[in-house]
Amino acid sequence: MDLDLDVPMHDAIEDQPVTQDEDKNSGNENELTATTTSVDEDEEKDDFKPGSSGIADHKSAKPLELNNSNINQLDQWIDYLGKCQILSEDDVARLCKMAVDVLQFEENVKPINVPVTICGDVHGQFHDLMELFRIGGPCPDTNYLFMGDYVDRGYYSVETVSYLVAMKVRYPHRITILRGNHESRQITQVYGFYDECLRKYGSASVWKMFTDLFDYFPITALVDNKVFCLHGGLSPMIETIDQVRELNRIQEVPHEGPMCDLLWSDPDDRGGWGISPRGAGFTFGQDISEQFNHTNDLSLIARAHQLVMEGYAWSHQQNVVTIFSAPNYCYRCGNQAAIMEVDENHNRQFLQYDPSIRPGEPTVSRKTPDYFL
Amino acid sequence: MADRRPLRGPGINTFQIDAARKVHARTVQARIPQAAASAASERFISPSPPTTSAVRRLVPRHVCNSPNNPPCASCGTMIVPSPAATLPLQDCPSMTINNWTISTRKKPILNSQELEDWENNKLKGLTLPEMIFGNSYVRIENTLHGWTLEFNALDALKQVKLADCGIRVSYSKKWMDSKQQKQAQRSSSPTEFEVDDSSLKIAHHYDWTYTTRYRGTEESKDQRYKFTRDDTQQLPLDKLSRPDHILFYDDMILFEDELADNGISILNVKIRVMDERLLLLNRFFLRVDDVLLRVIDTRVCVEFDENKVMREYKEMEGDYKSLLANHRISHSHDPKAALRDSNWVAQHAPVVSREYETLNFD
Repeated sequence: MDLDLDVPMHDAIEDQPVTQDEDKNSGNENELTATTTSVDEDEEKDDFKPGSSGIADHKSAKPLELNNSNINQLDQWIDYLGKCQILSEDDVARLCKMAVDVLQFEENVKPINVPVTICGDVHGQFHDLMELFRIGGPCPDTNYLFMGDYVDRGYYSVETVSYLVAMKVRYPHRITILRGNHESRQITQVYGFYDECLRKYGSASVWKMFTDLFDYFPITALVDNKVFCLHGGLSPMIETIDQVRELNRIQEVPHEGPMCDLLWSDPDDRGGWGISPRGAGFTFGQDISEQFNHTNDLSLIARAHQLVMEGYAWSHQQNVVTIFSAPNYCYRCGNQAAIMEVDENHNRQFLQYDPSIRPGEPTVSRKTPDYFL
Repeated sequence: MADRRPLRGPGINTFQIDAARKVHARTVQARIPQAAASAASERFISPSPPTTSAVRRLVPRHVCNSPNNPPCASCGTMIVPSPAATLPLQDCPSMTINNWTISTRKKPILNSQELEDWENNKLKGLTLPEMIFGNSYVRIENTLHGWTLEFNALDALKQVKLADCGIRVSYSKKWMDSKQQKQAQRSSSPTEFEVDDSSLKIAHHYDWTYTTRYRGTEESKDQRYKFTRDDTQQLPLDKLSRPDHILFYDDMILFEDELADNGISILNVKIRVMDERLLLLNRFFLRVDDVLLRVIDTRVCVEFDENKVMREYKEMEGDYKSLLANHRISHSHDPKAALRDSNWVAQHAPVVSREYETLNFD
């Protein structure tokens, strides 16, 4: 059996051992065949419908109010999650219900004050997220804005998204979590989060809760009316920021339309709007970025979504910046990660960092020698 | 480090597994010499003359060329070059058997300066894939005849066509249609933000699937040494299937693109060197979700004692839906898992073309 880490983790149910003998590292592959995990094979796609988790069945009419009891509960969870341990399924349900009552009241364009530290893709690299907080300063002392893609690819999507959501509920005014294109039912089924939930919880229920919660995540943020932050990029259907405010965002990320574009589009060297040769998806040129920034009196568009070796990359003559916060992406790219600090005077500073090296953690994914043919 | 954690899924008794750690530990372990590792690298050089004996040699005849090589087969354990556990990742192991030298190099993805150079000069006209391991390679060299065969990302990407490949993502028609409708609506209300007509066409064509029919980069000082095609022949699978001791093993990605989350396009090369022969597999794997699967394999086998190189090139391609229907029986939990497994696809997708060549050195 070949545990292929070069592709998203998959087949977890069939491939994973049920006991771990990490200290001995016996390398005995036979134990990989045993499994007691079972998942309802006839799980119908009906259950995958938005809302089936029930986390939003009893939404509150006003934002969640923190009291001593739920603060204690949240602090406990954060403590636990901070050690890269997962919450029980019941606790995830409680957390997601609380989060719905925080996130449903946030605007499509979430207003944010400086100072704030802006971060890009994390992709389940939990230990690198902890490194990020060490580099940028602990939350809530430092305000954070994350621009999506918390799950998929890395090995700890569950821990990563649980931690960020718990922080969001605990410090709603200190941390903002936007939606990325990976915060969607469809994408997570292909790129790892779904499989990871099955592997770690034995069923899809936690995946359903989180994907139902993703529908409530705000899609953009505006830092002091000057820096427009979002996961992907601009949309030809969006000329003003007010038009973003009018969108109905509480839904699965659609395959087309302005909300799709905001989470998917990329800046390009070619001017104007371009359509990808894939036959879907926009690219936008420098003229578009300049026009958008001018129309909306912005100084910068900050986005994530694309891997860059240095962790950040300017484009369109500093009208657009790409920030990527997953170092050594997929445990093999060797890239740096970065975050961008914006201070009270709107000065910007990038902090670059390398992956956190931990004993026992793969710095690269590599296969053991095999007799391939 | 208690990583065993009972989970509280309804009625299911399971434990969380940290597969990554396990694999890493196995890899690290494979690199630890079993014999005493105190000797200097000269110890690994063995002057024993080459023989053609099929019996496993008691004295190794290969030479390890890199001082960073972990001790190898007969001296310790096999060479499994692995980047040091610190960044920047870099590894350049090399070994020699007779007049054959095998080397690999692994470095991180290209940085922005390099990318810019590739985009504006080396690969002008191509929108580059997301991850390019442009400083990595696998090289097989016949030092006696000055002949090399190298696999690298730049030469592979040079073979990507700068034209429309005709493939579109599954929802492309829906996407395009909706844009056209909106366009029509908008042109009747001129006050709104407008997208001009030209933007609804794909302005810049290139093969976005990065399909490459790359078979390696050949360099020869002597023009006599060229591959001769003979499709009737086969690779010596019987010999390659034998569990001969692996002296050197490497496996690397040359480039990869996630196709904006519409599948994957990846070029991977791996090599294993045994005492008598080596096998290299250069595989391009493409999956466009709900559309198609494609595998393009180049296999190179070198018989060291015969001084013979064999190269097989094979293209396989199948329609996504028919392949998915094909394996439902065997993969019950996650029917799409097999479609992410290039080995499965290579075995089950119809062969589109095959070529076989040999090259003999005197």
